Amino acid sequence: MTSDNDRRRGLLARLRERPAARSRGRRRLGAAVRLFAALMLAGGAYTVFAPGVQAQDNPPLTGAAAEGKALFDVSCVTCHGRNAQGVEGRGPSLVGVGAASVEFQVGTGRMPMARQEAQAQRKPKVFTDEEIRQLGQYVQELGGGPIVPEGDDLHSDANIAAGGELFRINCSQCHAFGGGGGALSSGKYAPSLRPASDRQIYAAMLSGPQNMPVFGDNQITPEQKADIIAYIQETLKHDQDPGGFNLGRYGPSTEGLAIFLVGIVALVFASLWIAGKS
Amino acid sequence: MKRRKFDMAAAPGNAARGLDDRFQVATPLRRLLNKVFPDHWSFLLGEIALFSFVILLLTGVYLTFFFEPAMTEVVYNGSYAPLRGTPMSAAYASSLDLSFDVRGGLIMRQMHHWSALLFMAAIVVHMLRVFFTGAFRKPRETNWIIGSLLFWVGFLAGFTGYSLPDDGLSGTGLRIASAIMLSIPVIGSWVTSSVFGGEFPGDIIISRFFIAHVLLIPGLLIALISVHLGLVFKQKHTQWPGPGRTNGNVVGERMFPRYALKQGGFFMVVFGVVALMGGLFQINPIWLFGPYEAWVVSAASQPDWYVMFLDGSTRLMPAWEIPIPIGDGYVIPPLFWPTVVLPGILVGLSTLYPFLEARHLKDYRSHNLLQRPRDVPARTAVGAMAVSFFVVLTLSGANDVIADKFQISLNAMTWAGRIGLLLVPPLAYYVTYRICLGLQQHDREVLAHGVETGIIRRLPDGRFVEVHQPLSAANGHADGHGALEYVGWVVPKKMNRLGALGPAIRGFFYPIEKPAEAPVSPGHPPVEPRPEREEISSGESRR
Amino acid sequence: MTTHTEHQAQQGREPLDVNTPGLSQFDIVREGARRDDIEIVHYEPQVIPGTKAERRLTRVVASFFLLTGLAATAFLVIYIWWPWQYAPGRGGDKWYTPLLGVTLGVALLAVGFGILTWGKKLLPKEVSIQDRHEGAVAEDDRTITGHTMLYMAEEMGVKRRPLLGISLLAGLAPVGAVAAAPLVGGLISDPHKNNQMFTTGFAPAEGGEKIRLVREDGRPVRPADISTGGQITVFPGIDHGISNKHADSPTLLIHLRDSDADESRQANERVGHGDYMWGNYAAYSKVCTHAGCPASLYEQQTNRLLCPCHQSQFLITDNARPIFGPASRRLPQLPIEVDSEGYFVAKSDYTETVGPDFWERP
Repeated sequence: MTSDNDRRRGLLARLRERPAARSRGRRRLGAAVRLFAALMLAGGAYTVFAPGVQAQDNPPLTGAAAEGKALFDVSCVTCHGRNAQGVEGRGPSLVGVGAASVEFQVGTGRMPMARQEAQAQRKPKVFTDEEIRQLGQYVQELGGGPIVPEGDDLHSDANIAAGGELFRINCSQCHAFGGGGGALSSGKYAPSLRPASDRQIYAAMLSGPQNMPVFGDNQITPEQKADIIAYIQETLKHDQDPGGFNLGRYGPSTEGLAIFLVGIVALVFASLWIAGKS
Repeated sequence: MKRRKFDMAAAPGNAARGLDDRFQVATPLRRLLNKVFPDHWSFLLGEIALFSFVILLLTGVYLTFFFEPAMTEVVYNGSYAPLRGTPMSAAYASSLDLSFDVRGGLIMRQMHHWSALLFMAAIVVHMLRVFFTGAFRKPRETNWIIGSLLFWVGFLAGFTGYSLPDDGLSGTGLRIASAIMLSIPVIGSWVTSSVFGGEFPGDIIISRFFIAHVLLIPGLLIALISVHLGLVFKQKHTQWPGPGRTNGNVVGERMFPRYALKQGGFFMVVFGVVALMGGLFQINPIWLFGPYEAWVVSAASQPDWYVMFLDGSTRLMPAWEIPIPIGDGYVIPPLFWPTVVLPGILVGLSTLYPFLEARHLKDYRSHNLLQRPRDVPARTAVGAMAVSFFVVLTLSGANDVIADKFQISLNAMTWAGRIGLLLVPPLAYYVTYRICLGLQQHDREVLAHGVETGIIRRLPDGRFVEVHQPLSAANGHADGHGALEYVGWVVPKKMNRLGALGPAIRGFFYPIEKPAEAPVSPGHPPVEPRPEREEISSGESRR
Repeated sequence: MTTHTEHQAQQGREPLDVNTPGLSQFDIVREGARRDDIEIVHYEPQVIPGTKAERRLTRVVASFFLLTGLAATAFLVIYIWWPWQYAPGRGGDKWYTPLLGVTLGVALLAVGFGILTWGKKLLPKEVSIQDRHEGAVAEDDRTITGHTMLYMAEEMGVKRRPLLGISLLAGLAPVGAVAAAPLVGGLISDPHKNNQMFTTGFAPAEGGEKIRLVREDGRPVRPADISTGGQITVFPGIDHGISNKHADSPTLLIHLRDSDADESRQANERVGHGDYMWGNYAAYSKVCTHAGCPASLYEQQTNRLLCPCHQSQFLITDNARPIFGPASRRLPQLPIEVDSEGYFVAKSDYTETVGPDFWERP
């Protein structure tokens, strides 16, 4: 709640993000971190110097939601506006998107966003689970919307085979048969499902983040969602490939690369040795 | 001594005599055993293709014992839990059984697939070797044509095989194949309907592809390969220029024992590499693709690598539809050009190239000596152009994977491919041509002045010069500038390459007159050279 | 084949009598090579019998062969006793194929390198030179063969008796056709039978009854089933509607946002599809007009539909106009409405040809 805390967390976030930024070679992240820190400072200053604002125009909020609003007002308000009404050209209104959306966007580190670009990227998350819950509660109380059910394991007792069929018809066209993700038009992409948790996959289906279509509970029932999650977690992620190294599951493109880089190269070396003068 | 030998070997000797009485094999067998093969690593590339074809036959026969080429709908009930209860075609179910319920079936399937990729890769690499060394020239044009046909027939073999499991990925490929056939003007719909037995996908295509894949195409491949090898045998292998090598002889090893042993060993090595890849690298995980359903697709759907260039050309093709306003109106879809016309042109160009080049150079003589790529800059540059064309198309065939993994816009990748296809080949031509000329010039310079030694000497008048080690004993020129003639083979460019020249015979610039001082075992008296040995030359003039 | 004796005669070398006593085996081998116009110019043992080097190389080769035996045995042991049945998760069965590959690969590589080392290091080095005899066929032979063939042709007298040739051709041509007829006749299939290229499963049934849009499990679809910004694959609610028998029928039903739906309706008006949408719902063929892949990568914010095979992109809010890539034709739109029970039905079949383009598409 205090600005000191915010600053410290900002620093921590910076420290955490540094190596990731370097390792992925994404220069953007550097900018993201700076922007984020600036936002933090601005937000922190805002809470310090204008403590009275939040009391005036608020509907009554539950405790968690009030905490969430406080977080919102320092971290999200720049783009999503006062009371999450949205800011033209910067961020959409969050009224009615529900806690599921918050859980996905903030929980996967996509929000707070570094800057406006084709698509928000998965990053180390900035808030703790508790804070995300509070933010979610706040957004939920603003205008309702979908909620992810309780619990971390959302796929036990589900039918993997049914999930596989649903996955192939609804998910594989973008996320690819192995769940590794794929390209969309003009720089957008469907992300890899490998780092996603049960709750994040569930939240993504419910809320349709970015360009992903929404798969509401009427279209894919909660049981079917559990099936899909089971297929992703158990078969795509946990199941070891029976045929050896899977070459990234990129399909024939890496297989073609392998036959030249491994097969042909090995055999050319062999023939060099065979025909070479001893 | 001879007598004792005869006694010892009486039984096999008698058997051999009996065989020869009946079949008169002694003379042809001697010729076979004695046949001389030149030795160079690049001559082994074609063998990789041959050996992987043998592996394909072996593993392929194994697979047919378990595969059921039928599109009857069954409900899967095998060991692979994530698909249990899924309705699918019998072909896909039996492919799954091959992978999960036949003990050791998965490694056979994977070895079959890897050797198919290796077969095509080796064909291409072998073709490049033949092209860049000019081995396709008269009298070997026929074999070049057969070779390029082998690529296209192998392409068909690969595509039909890829389609057989009837999984989600191969079904998508089949759907595209049907669209390609549909796109042929006038007869397209009739061809497609006839091949698929009605509307796509029908229920017979897998059976038809199966018989094509296991009988018709392999039969054709065997026939072509036999003729290919027969011609190599009859026309004898080409060889690199070098000491003692002329257009009229073959310098190398007799087939037995050394050459044959090396071949046998190399077959085992190829087989071993395929086995390792089949076990260690998962290929075509059909159980993840699911059964083929017309509405199911996966991101990054691609064909195997040797078809990928056509997929790339299809992706790069602009949406140019040609309407023909006669009667009700007809169209030529944009799909027609990159998938029917382009391969047609490629087949034509590749098969006709030897004749085009001969015509262009007005060179109708027989050539048995190879040319170093640098010595024929125009051909090498054309080859580089073709390779870069192929590479741009192949990369474009995987442009969605590249876009996704390297975070490039997909649309940008398509445009890069379109522009690259026009710009890269001419650039490759120019750069290759210049590199060839540069290498040629350097060769001539070394021949004229010798090898750079790295020793800098100061002359009395204060100038610094680098000392060059002349390659020949200066014939009359004190400074070592006895100009040596270039004979079309490696010129030593480093000091430690001196004396280690040529692939087989020691001493490059002097013909071997006496290999003699070799230690000689009692059974092997020293050999004398033929009296009529002529002076070395490359046997042809170079430009 | 025919000329080696002549050739030798030209060279003036008498063939050696191989029965001469005192000839070594190598002499005979070399003589054999000479008779094939091969001169062994260099034959040099690489290792001297009895030396350390020989023993070492022998050991190397032998150990390669023994390694083969070892690896092959390991292969058999693994093949028989290693658990191989698929079990979900990570486990021993997942190592079955890699272990087989490694043991088999090592066995084959070891025998290969054993043989190679044997041939390369233990056998004598040799350089042999063989004459190619190109153009060795005497010009005479060509003349003789040519004349023999001409003579035969003349003997047959086709020139003198042209009727023979003509009648033979006339007789053979139909025989060729007979060979081709069963194949062509059996395979050929009319693509326009039942107007199949221009209809899909959504064509109203015989009684004019409209076909429902159903999901992959056969349940009909209600408007409430699709959230805003969602899409669902639907099929004709007929027999085998959800199967490859109706490979052209899969359709994408999209629930657009209000603003996008307005834009979409205006675009539809422009192409005469004014009443094809129902509310904010639009249905477009899932089969790409380019090569027939399911164009189903729907981006709900940009309203683009991407085909994963060749990257054609269609703008849904502009009546699925192709805006990028090789596709040249809009995705056909299915006119939809909601029936009295509240389920989506197709008002009629597609009004444009579904699927990849072909010549006679009007």
